[in-house]
Amino acid sequence: MLLKSVEYVRPDSVAQAIEILNSNEGAALLAGGQSLVNILKHRVASVDVLVDIATLEELRFVESRPDGSIEIGACITYDELDHSELIHSSHEMIAWVASHIEDQQIRNRGTIGGNCCLSDPTNNFPPLLVAMDATMNIQSSSGMRQVRAEEFFKGYLMTAIQPGEILKSITVPPVPADVGIGYVSLSVGEDSKAIVRSSAWVKLNGVVQEARVVLARVSPIPVRYQPMEEALRGSSATPEDIARAASVIGSDFEPVADSHGSSEYRREMARVVAKRAVLEAVEKVRGEGGSK
Amino acid sequence: MSAASNGRTATRERVTTWTGQGIPRKEDDRLVQGEGSFIDDMGMQGQGYAWFVRSPHAHARIVSIDVSPALALDGVYAVLTGEEAKSMCQEPFFRIAPGAASHIEEWPLAVGKVRYQGDAVAVVLADTRENARDAAELIEIEYDPLPAVVDGVEAAESSAPILHEEAGTNVAWNGVFNYGDIDWALENADHVVKIDRLHFHRFSSTPIEAAGAVVDWDVGSGVVTIHTNHQMPMFAAMFMGPTLGVPINKFSFSSRDIGGAFGTKIGFYPQLAALALLSKKAGRPVKWTEYRTENLLSSTHGNERTFLDIEVPVMADGTILGFKTRAYDDVGAYLHYEPLGGVIWSQVLPGCYKLKHIKVDYSATLTNKCPVSPNRGYSRMQHLWLIERIVDTVARELGFDPIELRKLNFVQPEDYPYETPNGCVYDSGDLPRSLDMALELVEADYWRARQKELGKGKGKRIGIGVGSTLDSGTNNFGQARIINPELPFSGNGEAAIAKLDLYGEVNVNLGTSPQGQGHETTAAQVAADILNVSPDKVTVSIGFEQANNSYIGFSGTYASQFAVTGLGAVMGAAQKLRDEILEVGAYALGLSKDEVELSDGVCVSKNDPSKSIPFIGIANLVYTNNAVLTPELREKVSLTCRYVYTPPFQVPDTDRKWGNLTLTYASQIHACVVEVDEETGEVKILAYAAVDDCGRRINPAIVEGQVHGAAGLGIAAALYESFDYDEDGQLMQPSFYEYHVGTALDIPHIRTSYIESPSPFTPNGAKGMGEGGGGALHAVCNAIQDTLDKDDAIVYDSHNSWERVYDLLKSGERQAPRGVSVLSRVSGS
Ligand SMILES: Cc1cc2nc3c(=O)[nH]c(=O)nc-3n(C[C@H](O)[C@H](O)[C@H](O)COP(=O)(O)OP(=O)(O)OC[C@H]3O[C@@H](n4cnc5c(N)ncnc54)[C@H](O)[C@@H]3O)c2cc1C
Repeated sequence: MLLKSVEYVRPDSVAQAIEILNSNEGAALLAGGQSLVNILKHRVASVDVLVDIATLEELRFVESRPDGSIEIGACITYDELDHSELIHSSHEMIAWVASHIEDQQIRNRGTIGGNCCLSDPTNNFPPLLVAMDATMNIQSSSGMRQVRAEEFFKGYLMTAIQPGEILKSITVPPVPADVGIGYVSLSVGEDSKAIVRSSAWVKLNGVVQEARVVLARVSPIPVRYQPMEEALRGSSATPEDIARAASVIGSDFEPVADSHGSSEYRREMARVVAKRAVLEAVEKVRGEGGSK
Repeated sequence: MSAASNGRTATRERVTTWTGQGIPRKEDDRLVQGEGSFIDDMGMQGQGYAWFVRSPHAHARIVSIDVSPALALDGVYAVLTGEEAKSMCQEPFFRIAPGAASHIEEWPLAVGKVRYQGDAVAVVLADTRENARDAAELIEIEYDPLPAVVDGVEAAESSAPILHEEAGTNVAWNGVFNYGDIDWALENADHVVKIDRLHFHRFSSTPIEAAGAVVDWDVGSGVVTIHTNHQMPMFAAMFMGPTLGVPINKFSFSSRDIGGAFGTKIGFYPQLAALALLSKKAGRPVKWTEYRTENLLSSTHGNERTFLDIEVPVMADGTILGFKTRAYDDVGAYLHYEPLGGVIWSQVLPGCYKLKHIKVDYSATLTNKCPVSPNRGYSRMQHLWLIERIVDTVARELGFDPIELRKLNFVQPEDYPYETPNGCVYDSGDLPRSLDMALELVEADYWRARQKELGKGKGKRIGIGVGSTLDSGTNNFGQARIINPELPFSGNGEAAIAKLDLYGEVNVNLGTSPQGQGHETTAAQVAADILNVSPDKVTVSIGFEQANNSYIGFSGTYASQFAVTGLGAVMGAAQKLRDEILEVGAYALGLSKDEVELSDGVCVSKNDPSKSIPFIGIANLVYTNNAVLTPELREKVSLTCRYVYTPPFQVPDTDRKWGNLTLTYASQIHACVVEVDEETGEVKILAYAAVDDCGRRINPAIVEGQVHGAAGLGIAAALYESFDYDEDGQLMQPSFYEYHVGTALDIPHIRTSYIESPSPFTPNGAKGMGEGGGGALHAVCNAIQDTLDKDDAIVYDSHNSWERVYDLLKSGERQAPRGVSVLSRVSGS
C-alpha cells in the first residue's frame, strides 16, 4: 500500500484515545496528518493504529482567561487560528505565524498541537511558543500536567510527551502593551522551509526589562540564547544596542549544516535574524504602543 | 458582439489573417477545466502496476539479487531484473559516441553494476501500485560499493574510478573547436582577461507531470502499444526497436496531453524498454507513473558544465576578439542523448557577438550522477552563460560600461545574414534595439539613480544586469556527425496531414507531441488562413498517435522548432488540400480552377457568388459519390494531404567542425534589477523585462507565455534550484522539500516586449522559440555581479544561493581569490 496497511480508529473522547494509546504500543495520534502521513508514506516510521483526534471537541477550542492569557486546543488548525477574532485581538502574532505556514491546503488541516508534537526543527510554532513562554497542557490517564514550552521540545522529533499522553491544549500568557514580539525567518523562496529563524519577546519600559530570544533551525530544537537576552536587558534598545547584543551569538554555537546552508553561514545568519526579530519586537512596542 | 467578452468571435470580424493573432488557445478550455487527459488518466484492461527498484548507492557492483520474497507476496505478477532484461534484448541501446565510449553498453536495467543513486536494478509488477512498491522493498540486493566520482573535471583524471570498464575512460567524447587564431589574438590583444573557473550548475525543469507510460506487449500480434508522455516518441522507437527486436511498425506509440517536458522527457526510453519487457514477461499491460522523488533522482538532469582557464583577448577600444577555454560537461552515468550536447552549444559559438577567434577544448565526462539529457536551452544555455559572464567580467575588469560593451561587440542589424566563425548563419535581428527596449522596459535609468543614491553599506544594494541570448532553432542533425562522422543523420523536418473528413470537416494532424506549446492553436491558425475558414473550424488532433499521425524520424516537440518545421509542414499540407478542394469544387461548379476560391467553408465562383459548393459537398463527391467525378479527378484527389517540410541544410564539414547547424536564431534580451541584502545575501528581484525577437509571431500570446516560462525557469535556476551530490554520490535534493521550485510566489512580474525580424529562411518568417537561451540566468548573475565591489570575487557560478551571494559580498573583505586577472599591454584604459 501507499501507506503500509494500518488500523484506523476515531475515539469519542480524549480519555478513550488515551486508553487506546495505553493498550497498544504501536498506536499513534493523528491530528492534521500533514506530517505524520508523509512520514508513513516515506516509510521512515511505522504505526499499527492511527488514533484520529482531529475532530475531538475537547481539543478544539480557543478561550481567553481573565488574566488575558488564552488557551488553544491542540487540534485547532492554522486556518482557524488565522480566522479567530479572539486570537487576532489578543495574540496577533499567533495568527500571523499560522497564516504563513506553507499553503492553504496545509493550513486547512495542520494543527497547532501537531506542529509542536512533531518537533521538527523547521516547524513554525515551536520558536514562537518558547518566546511567548507558553505552557503545554498534557493529559494522561493519571490526569493533567503542565510543561513550559521551553522544556517541551527535547530533540529532533522528540518532545516531553510520554507514551499514553496527549497534548490537550496550549496556554499562552497575555501580551501587555509594554511587550512586543518579533518573528523573522530567512528562507529559500517564498514558501519554503526556513534556513534560520528567530522569535523574540521583549518587555520594554524605556529600557529592556526582560527579553527572550529564541533561535530555530540552528539545532534540532528551538533554543533561547541567554547571553543575548542578558546583553539586551537594561539597554535602551537602540538599533546599535540590539546589534551589539546579537553579536554575542558566537563561536560556542555549532549550527547544523545541510543543503540550504553551512554551519558557519547559519551562525552568522542567526545573528542577523535574532537582531531583526528583536528590532521588530521593539518597534512594535514603540511604534504602535504595544503589540499583541 | 463584444470584443471583451469573446476574443475569438470578436477578432473574426476584423482580421485579414489568423496568423499573427493572439487568439485564445484551443487547448485551454479542456485544460483549465480539468478535462485534459494525462498519462495517469490512461489505462488498459488487466493492467498491472510497475515499480522500479533503484540503487541506493552511487557506484556499486551488484553481488546478488533475490526476488523470491517479492514474488511470494500476494498480487505480485512478475519481477524483471537487469540480467534477465538483457537476455530478452537483441543488442544494447544505440550508441551515438564514437571511440572508447562506443563500447559502453546500456541495457533497459542495470547489469552487473549500478552507476548512480537511482539506477534501476529491477522492476516489479503487481495488482496495485502500492503492492508493487511493497514487493520492491522485499527484494534482497547485495551490493559491493565502489568509490564514486561526482565531479565532471575529476572524472577525466586517470585516478578517477571508471564507470564503464568497457570504455576504459570516463571521457565520453572530446573535441577541440578551433576557429580563427586565438593564439595570435592573445598575443596581440591590448588586454587579456583571465578567468580561472566558471561553473554552470545542475538543475532540471521538473515538469508538473512526471514521466509515465502504459505499455502492452501483445505476444499474439507482436505489437507493442505504448501510451506515454514521451515528447519525441518516434525517437524513442528508433532507440528501442533494435534493442527489443521490434520493427518500427510493430510499435504503437501515442500521447495525449503532456504536463510539461522541457526536453526532460526525451531521455526515458530505457524505462519504456524495461516496461515493454516486463509486459512481455508477465503477459499483461503494465502501467507506470513516476514518483516525484524518482523523477528528481533518476529521470533527467540538465547538463552541468565547468569552464577552466578562460582567456579573453580584448582591444583597447573594447573589441573582444574571442576567447579560449577548456569545458567539461558532466553528463552523468549514461549517455542517453549525449554526447550530442558536445556540438549543440556550437550553434551559438560566438553568442550575440562578433567574436572571431574561439577555441574550446570540450570534454563530455561520465560521473556517478543522474544522466543528463536535453533540458530547456539544452547545451547552448550553458555556453551563452559563459559568454555573458565573459562580457560582463571584461566590462568590469577593464572599466567599460557593460551595456556599451555589448552594443560595440554585438552582431549589428546590417550584418545579417551573419556567418559565424564555424559557418552558422544568423538569419536576422536587431540586438542593439532589443537591448535598448529591454532597458527602457525595466526602467534602467530610474534604477541606476536609485542604485547610486543607495550606494553600499546601508543594508541593501541594487544591481542591474542584462542577458543577451540566442534561441537557436531547427537543428541540422548533420551536426551529430561532428561528434561521430559515422552517424547517418543530417537535415531536419516535420510532417503533417491536412484532411477534409467525410462530412467536410477540416482536420490537421501533426508529427509532434506538444506539452503546452499550443500546437493545436497555431496549426489551426495557419491552416485557417490557407483554407479560408475560421480556426474554430479546424480540428487539430490532440497529441500524437503513431497509427494515424504522419511522422518522420525527427518528429517530436523539442528544440524550439515547431513554428518553422511543424507549421512549415502544416502550411504545405493545407496548401495541397486547398488545391484539391479547388479542383473538385471547380469541377462541381463547371468552372475552371482559377475561377473559384475558398470562402468560409465553401468553394465559390469568383464572379458569381451564387454559384458555390460547401466543403461537405466536396467531401461527398470524393468519399461517397465518386462515380460523378472523372477518372482523372478520382485518381488525383484524396482530400488527405501529407506534407513533409524539410529545411535547406547541407552536411557539415566534420573535419573543420564547420557548417550551418541551425536554421533560425531568435534573440532574447533580458534585463533584471535585483536588491541584495548585505547582511544575508538574499536576492530579491525588483524589476524584470524581456524583449523577444522570434521573427514573425504566429500567436503573440503563446510567444509571450513561452517568454514568461523561460524567464521563470531561469530565475528559479539562478536563485533557488540546484542538484548537488555529496562526495558519496547521494543527491542532496531528492524531494521538493530540498529542491525549491520557483513558483508564482517567487517569480516577479515580467514585462515583455518584442521585435519582429522575419527570418528570410523560413516559409512563414517565423523562428523557433520557447527555450529562451537561459536569458534569465545570464541577467540575474550579471545583476548580482553589479552589486559587488571591485575587489570582490566575480560571480563564478550560475546558481547563487543566499549563502553564495553572502560569500561573494564578503569576498573582498576576506581577501578571497577573485577568480580573475588582467594582463594589459597598453596603459591608460
Ligand atoms: C509540503 C509541506 C510543507 C510543510 N511546511 C511546513 C513549514 O514550513 N512550517 C511548519 O511549521 N510546518 C510545515 N509543514 C508541516 C505541517 O505544519 C504539519 O501540519 C505539522 O508539522 C503537523 O501537524 P498536524 O496537525 O498535521 O499533525 P500530524 O501530522 O497529524 O501529527 C504530527 C505528529 O504529532 C503527533 N501529535 C499530533 N497531535 C498530537 C497531540 N495533540 N498530542 C500528542 N501528539 C500529537 C502525531 O502523533 C505525530 O507524531 C509542512 C507540511 C507539508 C506537507
